[in-house]
Amino acid sequence: MNWLHNNLFSSPLNTVLTLACVCLIVIAGVPLVNWLVIDAYWTGSTPADCPDKTAACWPFVRARFDQFMYGLYPETERWRVNLGLGLIILSALPLFIPRFPGKRRVVVLAVIAWPLIGALLFLGGYGGLTYVETGSWGGFFLTVVTALFVLSTSLPIAVLLALGRCSSIPLVRVCCATWIELWRSVPALVVLFVAIIMFPLFMPEELKIDKLLRALGALTILMSCYMAEAIRGALQSIPKGQFEAAEALGLGYWQRTFLVILPQAFPVALPQITSNFIGLFKETTVLLIIGLFDLLGMVQSAASDPAWLSPGVSATGYLFAALFFWLFCFSLSRYSAWLERKASVYKTHAGS
Amino acid sequence: MTKREIAYQVALLFIIGVVVYLVAGTTQGNLARLGVDSSIDFLWKRAGFEIGQKLIPFDANSTIARAFVVALLNTLLLAAVSIICASILGLAIGIARLSDNWLVSRLAAGYIEIFRNIPSLLQIFFWYFVVLRTLPRSSESIGFFNCIFLNNRGLFIPSVSFGQGWPWIVAALLAAWGMVYFLRRQERRQFAAPALIRPDTRRLNPLASWNLLILAGIVGAIVLLAGAQLEIPRETRFGYRGGIVMMPEFLSLVVGLSMYNATYIGEIVRSGFTSIPRGQTEAADSLGLPRRLTIRLVLFPQALRVIIPPLTTVYLNLFKSTSLAAAIAYPEVVSVFVGTVNNLVGQPVFIMAITMAVYVFISLCIALFLNWYNRKIALTVVT
Repeated sequence: MNWLHNNLFSSPLNTVLTLACVCLIVIAGVPLVNWLVIDAYWTGSTPADCPDKTAACWPFVRARFDQFMYGLYPETERWRVNLGLGLIILSALPLFIPRFPGKRRVVVLAVIAWPLIGALLFLGGYGGLTYVETGSWGGFFLTVVTALFVLSTSLPIAVLLALGRCSSIPLVRVCCATWIELWRSVPALVVLFVAIIMFPLFMPEELKIDKLLRALGALTILMSCYMAEAIRGALQSIPKGQFEAAEALGLGYWQRTFLVILPQAFPVALPQITSNFIGLFKETTVLLIIGLFDLLGMVQSAASDPAWLSPGVSATGYLFAALFFWLFCFSLSRYSAWLERKASVYKTHAGS
Repeated sequence: MTKREIAYQVALLFIIGVVVYLVAGTTQGNLARLGVDSSIDFLWKRAGFEIGQKLIPFDANSTIARAFVVALLNTLLLAAVSIICASILGLAIGIARLSDNWLVSRLAAGYIEIFRNIPSLLQIFFWYFVVLRTLPRSSESIGFFNCIFLNNRGLFIPSVSFGQGWPWIVAALLAAWGMVYFLRRQERRQFAAPALIRPDTRRLNPLASWNLLILAGIVGAIVLLAGAQLEIPRETRFGYRGGIVMMPEFLSLVVGLSMYNATYIGEIVRSGFTSIPRGQTEAADSLGLPRRLTIRLVLFPQALRVIIPPLTTVYLNLFKSTSLAAAIAYPEVVSVFVGTVNNLVGQPVFIMAITMAVYVFISLCIALFLNWYNRKIALTVVT
C-alpha cells in the first residue's frame, strides 16, 4: 500500500499520469493480446488454416520456418549450417565466462577462425561436401553469417585504422582520418551500392567476385570505420604515462602498442564495440534492398506469396522477425551493459 | 620528423598513387568495353519518368538535374520532419523515464527496450505494408474533424495558400524576426542578471511576453490581409484534392524512423539529466526556485551540454537512414538516382560520386551546425 502511494499516487499529477498510463495499456494492450493470442490461428500449416485475413496467422510461420532460418539452403545440407553455427557459439562461449584460462587467446583465435569455418563448411565444394552457392544462402543464417564475418574481418582493420589516426606521422594520420570520416558520413545502403555497382568496374574483367562477398566487403569497410572510432576513444583514455613507461623499457612501437597499450584499451572499447555490433546486426536487414535475403528479406518474400497474401499473415511474419531480432539485440545489449559495469568496477579499483 | 617517418610517408604516397593509377586504368578499360561514354552531360537530358512526391514542379519533360533536385528536397524534407518528430518523442520519453511515477517510468523504459532492438527497416516495413497499405480506400477514408483524411493513398491535411501576397508575408516574418531579436537584446542589456537566468528574463518580465504577443498579432494580420487562404481537402471522383498530401511511403518512414531514433534520444536525454550532480537541484531548492523553474533554468541548460554531442550522432544516423526509403520506393536521392536514373542512363561512376558527395556534404553540415551550437551553449553557461 505504501509502495503504491509513494510510486503511483504521491500527488494529483501523479495520480492522473498513472490513470492515463493504465488507460493506455488497456487501450493498446487488450486488442493486441486479442489479435495475437485469442483471435489468432495456431494449428495447421496451410493457407486454408487462416480463413480470417486480418487475424494473426501462426501456421504461416510454421510452414515457412525453415525458409526463415536457412533461406534456400538445400534441405539435405542444413546440418552443415547447424554444425558451423554450433562451433561458432562454442568458440564464443569463453567470452561470457569471466575466469576462463587463456580467454583472450582463445577468443582472438576463434574470431580469426570464423570466416574459415564459414567458407569450409557453408560453401563446400570439396571432398564429399556438395557446393552450395551463396545465392541460396538466406534467412537468419545469412544474418548471423554476415554479422560474424564482418565482425571478424573489421576488427583487425579497425585496430590499424585507429592506430593510424593516432599516429605521429602526419600523412598517415590525415589518410586514416579522411578514410574513416568519408565512410562514416555515407549510409550503409550507399556503400553497398558502391560495392555492387562500382566495384566490378574497378577490377579487371576476368576477376568476378561473388555478390555476397562484395556486400560483406562493403560492410567490413563501414564497420571497421565505426569500430576504429571506438578503439581510438579507448586509446585516448590510456594515460600518457603508460606510453612513456613502455618507451623507457626500450620497447619499439609495435611492441609498445600490442603488449602495453592495446590490452588496456580493448576492455575500454569493448562496450562500444558491442553496441556497434548490435547496430551491424540490425543493419544486415539492408541487404534485402540489394537482393540478398536475410531474415527480414525472407519474411518479406514469403509474405508476398500469393497463396498466403493477407494483412494478418504479413503482420505475423514481421512480428516473428522482430521477435528474433529483438531477442538477439536485447541480450547483446545486456551483455554490453554488464561489460560496462565490469569495466567501471575495474577502473575504480585501479584508481583507489 | 625522423628519417623513418619521412620514408613511411613517401612509401604511403607511392602505394596510394599506384592503387589509384591501377584502379583508374581498369575502370577506364571496363567502361570502354561496356561502351559507356562517361560524361556528366546526362544531367541535362530529358528525364522521361515521373516522381510521386515533388516539392518543385517536375514532369517527364524536365531534365535529370531537376529530378536530382526533387529527390534531394525529398530527402531533406524526410530528414527534417523525422528529426523534429524523433526529438519531440525522444524528449517526452526521456522525461517520462525520469519520472517519479513508477508506471510512467517503466512504460518509457519498455518502449525504449522494445523499439531500440528492432531494426528500423523492419519497423518501416511494418508501418508501410501492414498498417498504411491496408487502410480503407479513398471513398471510405477515415476523417478527423472533417478536414483531415486518412486512406490508403496517404494523409490529407489542410494547407495555407498565400496566393499573390507571399512577398508581403516573407517581409512581415523577416521584420518580426528582426524585432524579436532586437527586443531580446534590449532585455539582456537591461537585466544584468546572473548569466544562468539571463536567457529567461522574459519569463520574469511579463511585458516582454506581451511584446511577443503583439508581434504575433501584427504578423497574423498581415498574413490575413495578404490573402492567405485555408485549403481543406475535398472529396472528388478521383480521390481527395487540395491541401497537403503525405504519401503512405513518407508517413511510414517518418513514423518508423522517429519511433526508432526516439529511443536513442530518450536515453540521451535521461543520461543528460542524471549526469547533473544532486547539489545543483538542492542549491536551486534552497534559492527557493519552484520546481518548473529549476528544471528550465538550472537543470536543462546543464543537461544540454551533455546531450548535444551524442545527439549529433543520432541525428547523423537518422539522416543516413533516410536512404532506407529506397526499400519502399519513396523518391529520395538513393531510389531516384542510384535506382531510376542509373538504370536509365547507365553512368555509375558519376551517379555514385554525386550520391556520396550529397551525403558527405549534408552530414558535414549537420555535424558542423551542432558542433557550433554546442560551443555556443557551452560558452553561455561558463561566462
